[in-house]
Amino acid sequence: MSLERPELTRLQRWMQEVVVHPGTVEEAVASDRAELHIPSDRLTEVVLPSHSMTSAERVGVYHGMYLMRMEEALEADYPVIRYHLGDHQFGHLVREYVQRYPSTSYTLNRLGDHLPQFFLDEPEWHDAAFLHDLARLELAMTEVFDGEESPVLGATELEAVSPEVWEDARLSPISAFRLLAFKHAVIPNLVAYHEDRPSPSPRRRASWVALYRRDYSVLRLELSRAEYDLLKTIVDGAPLGEALTTAAASKSPRQQAKVFRWFRTWISEGLFTAIES
Amino acid sequence: MNDNRWGLPDLGLGVGLRTTHYAHILSERPDIGFFEILTENYLDTGGRPLYMLDQIAEQYPTVMHGVSMSIGSTDPINFEYLAKVKALAERTGSLWVSDHICWTGVLGRNTHDLLPLPYTEESLAHSVERIKVVQDFLERPLVLENPSTYLEFADDDMKEWEFVARLAEEADCGLLFDVNNVYVSAYNHGYDPVAYIDAIPADRVCQYHLAGHTNKGTHIIDTHSDHVVDPVWELFGHTIRTVGLRATLLEWDADIPPFEVVHQEVLKAGDWRRQEVADVA
Repeated sequence: MSLERPELTRLQRWMQEVVVHPGTVEEAVASDRAELHIPSDRLTEVVLPSHSMTSAERVGVYHGMYLMRMEEALEADYPVIRYHLGDHQFGHLVREYVQRYPSTSYTLNRLGDHLPQFFLDEPEWHDAAFLHDLARLELAMTEVFDGEESPVLGATELEAVSPEVWEDARLSPISAFRLLAFKHAVIPNLVAYHEDRPSPSPRRRASWVALYRRDYSVLRLELSRAEYDLLKTIVDGAPLGEALTTAAASKSPRQQAKVFRWFRTWISEGLFTAIES
Repeated sequence: MNDNRWGLPDLGLGVGLRTTHYAHILSERPDIGFFEILTENYLDTGGRPLYMLDQIAEQYPTVMHGVSMSIGSTDPINFEYLAKVKALAERTGSLWVSDHICWTGVLGRNTHDLLPLPYTEESLAHSVERIKVVQDFLERPLVLENPSTYLEFADDDMKEWEFVARLAEEADCGLLFDVNNVYVSAYNHGYDPVAYIDAIPADRVCQYHLAGHTNKGTHIIDTHSDHVVDPVWELFGHTIRTVGLRATLLEWDADIPPFEVVHQEVLKAGDWRRQEVADVA
């Protein structure tokens, strides 16, 4: 292959292949994907050496910074997974993840969007099912953090709803709200991270959480299965009468009181933005 | 002293707005000329970052500085991104929008690095055309920063300063002149930074950047993680003697110290500015 001056398109495709390659810079330059654009034995005809660095070392500056940047970005969104895995394993995870799901956005804030899916793609990854749940929790926290600000429906607005329309009314959650069901206990790992205690070993135990934002802080409510089912029914758009009746049906007065207590908590925590009758 | 051709104001001394400083800025209201925001951090959020930005933009002039315009890329221009940039500029009243003379990715990918362009006629013509399109879309001058670079392409047709000067003239865009980047690239490539500064068209320069870096011995990395070194201050003095006074911003993006430390660092630039004014008088 003769190497005339590489046009801009070819030069940029070559350099990107080298920069994002997961191996060493020498492996990157010699990789099939890079060689497709520029043969490795012609490197010095494309990139000049400096007084102190070879051509490969100079390209290697960009190559080395790529993975560091990806790791910093993913650590920002997944601090609990990084804490659980430790530096070495997390670095390994980042290397594999960005090969499968490289950034295609103008913002690094979306780089980690596919991490839950990655653990489904890679079931042989150690504790993949647990890490899938933990990734879902942390991704949802970033979504709640960045969600649009919504007006909050308060008790006063609810009290203004006339009794005859209450049965058919539907509640809409605020934008910065996520409701999650997990197969594993993930909150203990989140708490351990914040308290700087050792991350607990994965434990298979169903758990349910509502994430929401108040005063620009991300908060959570840990829920029982029954609480989760009722809240899910409501945010999925069921009429309030139907949702509350189903939740409290065939239950004791004590259970019915509990249901209404849950409901009052959700209102006071500001989970809803509107009521439609 | 020369002005820039758009009459964009000399906002004095500014610092890059960073999340760790939000509370200090809003409670202490430091005496600072302006803040520069990292564009991409505010494009897709309705949460705390935007809430804080709105409050700060009410109290201080702001300018926007992006890292993903990828003006030299051979990929199509991302108009969805530009629309968000334009909307944010209108929301914050940013006096100008800047990005870098670089490319960040191709084939739909973003490496999130400021990758170097070859300084060729082909690359120049390609970038000039794209800048014109972007400026038409944004309906305001685009201000582009000279990058720090760590390699040189063998087929370059011209020196970096010639490329930067011609780019600005042919595309009719502004320049954000990063003095530290000139020092870093000059060290890495073995050229005279003063020759670079002397070649820059003064009336295109709208803003200066200053920052610290990390010297690895064989090369320097533009890390924005430390104080500005003395040789860069000397180059800054030469720049304001040659180009004139412009809005001057200190960047500190890694190992970020308390706001007071960053503020004290940019105040040093004020000493240099006053010295140059005194010398001219």
